[in-house]
Amino acid sequence: MKILVTVKRVTDYERKVKISPDGLSLVTEGMNFVPNPFDEIAVEEALRLQKAHGGEVVVISIGHKDASKEIRQALAMGADRGIHVIAEELDPDAVARLLMKIVEEEKPELVIMGKQATDDDANQAGQLLAGYLGWPQATFASKVEGLDSEAEKAQTPGVVIAGGEATVIREIDGGLETLKLKLPAIVTTDLRLNHPRFASLPGIMKAKKKPIKEVPVASFGVDITPKVRNVKYAEPPARKAGVKVADVAELVNKLKTEAKVI
Amino acid sequence: MASNPLVSDRDVQFLLEEVLDLGRLLRLPAFADHNQETIELYLASCRRLAREVLFPAYKPMDEEPSYLEEDGAVRAHPLMHVMYPSLVGLGLISATRPAEVGGQALPQTIGLLASVYLMAANLSATGYLGLTSGAARLIESFGTDTLKERFLPKMYGGEWTGTMALTEPQAGSSLTDVKTRATPAGGYYLIEGSKVFISGGDHDLVPNIVHLTLARIDGAPLGIKGVSLFAIPKRREEGARLVDNDVITAGVFKKVGWRGIPSVALNFGERGDCRGWLVGEPHQGIKCMFQMMNEARLMVGANAVATASVAYHQSVAYATERPQGRPFTSKDPAAPQVPIIEHADVRRMLLRQKAIVEGGLGLLAQTAYFADVAEHETDAETRKRARLLLDLLTPIAKSFPAEAGQESNSLSVQIHGGYGYTSEFYPEAWWRDQRLNAIHEGTTGIQGFDLLGRKVVAEEGAAFLFLNEEIGRALSAARSAGVDPTWGDAVAKALEEIGRLTLHLGGLGLSGQVESMMAHSHDYLNAMSLLVVSWIWLQQATAAHKGLKERPEHADFYRGKLQAAQYWIRTELPKVNHLVRLAEEVEASYLEMRPEWF
Repeated sequence: MKILVTVKRVTDYERKVKISPDGLSLVTEGMNFVPNPFDEIAVEEALRLQKAHGGEVVVISIGHKDASKEIRQALAMGADRGIHVIAEELDPDAVARLLMKIVEEEKPELVIMGKQATDDDANQAGQLLAGYLGWPQATFASKVEGLDSEAEKAQTPGVVIAGGEATVIREIDGGLETLKLKLPAIVTTDLRLNHPRFASLPGIMKAKKKPIKEVPVASFGVDITPKVRNVKYAEPPARKAGVKVADVAELVNKLKTEAKVI
Repeated sequence: MASNPLVSDRDVQFLLEEVLDLGRLLRLPAFADHNQETIELYLASCRRLAREVLFPAYKPMDEEPSYLEEDGAVRAHPLMHVMYPSLVGLGLISATRPAEVGGQALPQTIGLLASVYLMAANLSATGYLGLTSGAARLIESFGTDTLKERFLPKMYGGEWTGTMALTEPQAGSSLTDVKTRATPAGGYYLIEGSKVFISGGDHDLVPNIVHLTLARIDGAPLGIKGVSLFAIPKRREEGARLVDNDVITAGVFKKVGWRGIPSVALNFGERGDCRGWLVGEPHQGIKCMFQMMNEARLMVGANAVATASVAYHQSVAYATERPQGRPFTSKDPAAPQVPIIEHADVRRMLLRQKAIVEGGLGLLAQTAYFADVAEHETDAETRKRARLLLDLLTPIAKSFPAEAGQESNSLSVQIHGGYGYTSEFYPEAWWRDQRLNAIHEGTTGIQGFDLLGRKVVAEEGAAFLFLNEEIGRALSAARSAGVDPTWGDAVAKALEEIGRLTLHLGGLGLSGQVESMMAHSHDYLNAMSLLVVSWIWLQQATAAHKGLKERPEHADFYRGKLQAAQYWIRTELPKVNHLVRLAEEVEASYLEMRPEWF
């Protein structure tokens, strides 16, 4: 089974981002970059499915030329090869249409993507890709942990593939739902699907020899003019100091008249 | 509170890219398979494993140590069972070993810096692998091909773990006095004896543990030339089965720190059926151990820096968030309290921690760098020079972080105030862990003997001359970079004082006055440590000056470096003068003190 996985290079979630003085962008100078954590979960899921069913895991990143490092990390985790579309910041729609081109060429049976990237939290690319391809989709894929040993848990995929179908448990408001999808299909991963493995040193050394195909974005013939425009970035308002109330009556009054929550 | 970074990523990057010449290491043929990217990816994996997996397990492991259970078994903490496969999977055990034995030929400099994250997160958990690595290394260096085939793949692969089983109740630091007996039995030896303080000596993480043990072959000469090295597995292979090898755990020690890894007392051959296999030539055991000592001692230094580092980061975070008191100038009791980091006296403690932690890490990285050059440089003269520098710096890189680390960890308790004295907070646990590092792998006293009695006088003082050259180079680099010239002057003066003292003490030794020469070996070690760490800080100050010009967006980082360098050179280095005087004048209070006067 061939599985395509996407990996986006995002700013390190451990560090505080700074807004540029004009408020139109984020300061990337001196920032640390890491693979989108949801995408690491996608890579892990693909590797577990590969272990169970064989086949190939192909990693795609669309973005900055330095994103080869994020692809290389996925290869070090165990993926087979990479495709790097070198581009500047794109909106989710452009990403989905570029991915569609790659899917048409690679013909995978499954595309696994992070549900969203931790930088812009758009949560759109997977759904848009499914729409453009006309494929079934299961977003927010999760897993119910049984009483397996830790060692078993670390190997069992959450997505079950059998008879040309994928069974996916997904997180929804207030619980879980199970979907059956006909392959080929799109799955986007939520936090509880798995714990991604760490790239091992032997894996890192092997990854050096795995191919990464670099493709300039222009070669796809896709119009990448943004449909989404960043109007302004702003810090969330600083937390204000609290006040002490004399008694319950005053508290209830404030909740009613000032906070307007009751 | 923000999550503890354990070790500063920026500091590690600074050491690799701005202080040490990583590019030069990577150009050596031995490291041809590595590049910036492989190193970054490996560091990234170690950091994340440390922060996300090992660190959350630290406290539970500290609170629930293993013990000898009723069925005679010693079981590792359940969390250790969960983490062990990830730690092994990382490739840590054989990372710096060559490809022939399944390693990845990683420079030691990188291996060490990556391990510091894991140690800072969870010293005990990392200990299981470090010990295995050290034990396997002895077999790799001295074992026969048969032994290597039998033990190495399993040990480097993490299927079996290893220990160093050296100490006996009557033979701790004095290994020449070991009594464990080895009787030849055709192809193997029957072992009989007892060992104590064997870290990782029993557990249930893996089915087998290989103890690298010192013992005396029957009829061996007395003393250092009669001690041999053996590999003694807990279970021996018979066909495809592992059978009991008569290695009994007699007890598990209750320890001050390092509670996540059991230290046990072992009895070999209670039933007369414990088999051991000779590693290296008969009676060469101590010599084999000595060849491994640099690495083992650097590991202890790394443990110490790591333990000081995690506590330092905890202190900074706490001091930034804990409001307490008001500035001296504030007279208004209604004014809000300030975070304690606003008090200069708290910053004194934090800066001292920073100077010890980052100075110690810089020293270890520099020493590991010399180890890489000593082993892999293509030019023989350069290798030899680096070897002598490595030998000279090793006792300092072991003892300085262990001793100053205790102070640094104690400051972390202090900064946390009353809370720091409770086990609700982490600093007391790290303080307890740190205490061991001045004891194991050669006490601080022994490091002093080693430095003055062996390393400094070796090859007619060649190592000291090379250190002199290195410091000279750092002095001129600091001058041209625009570092405050008084700092360089202070380092040059201390170097001159210690150089004079070294000649003097060497002279005493040559004229047979060994007692007088060695009387102040501890002060000599301290003086050298102050000088060497000042040299490390001078190099970092030089790099910080360049950084301030080239990367002004990192100004806070570089200014912090310069403050710490200034603190160390102005506050600590002047103590050299006093220590040199004590040694030079052979101040005789304890020398002449009689046991009956106590």
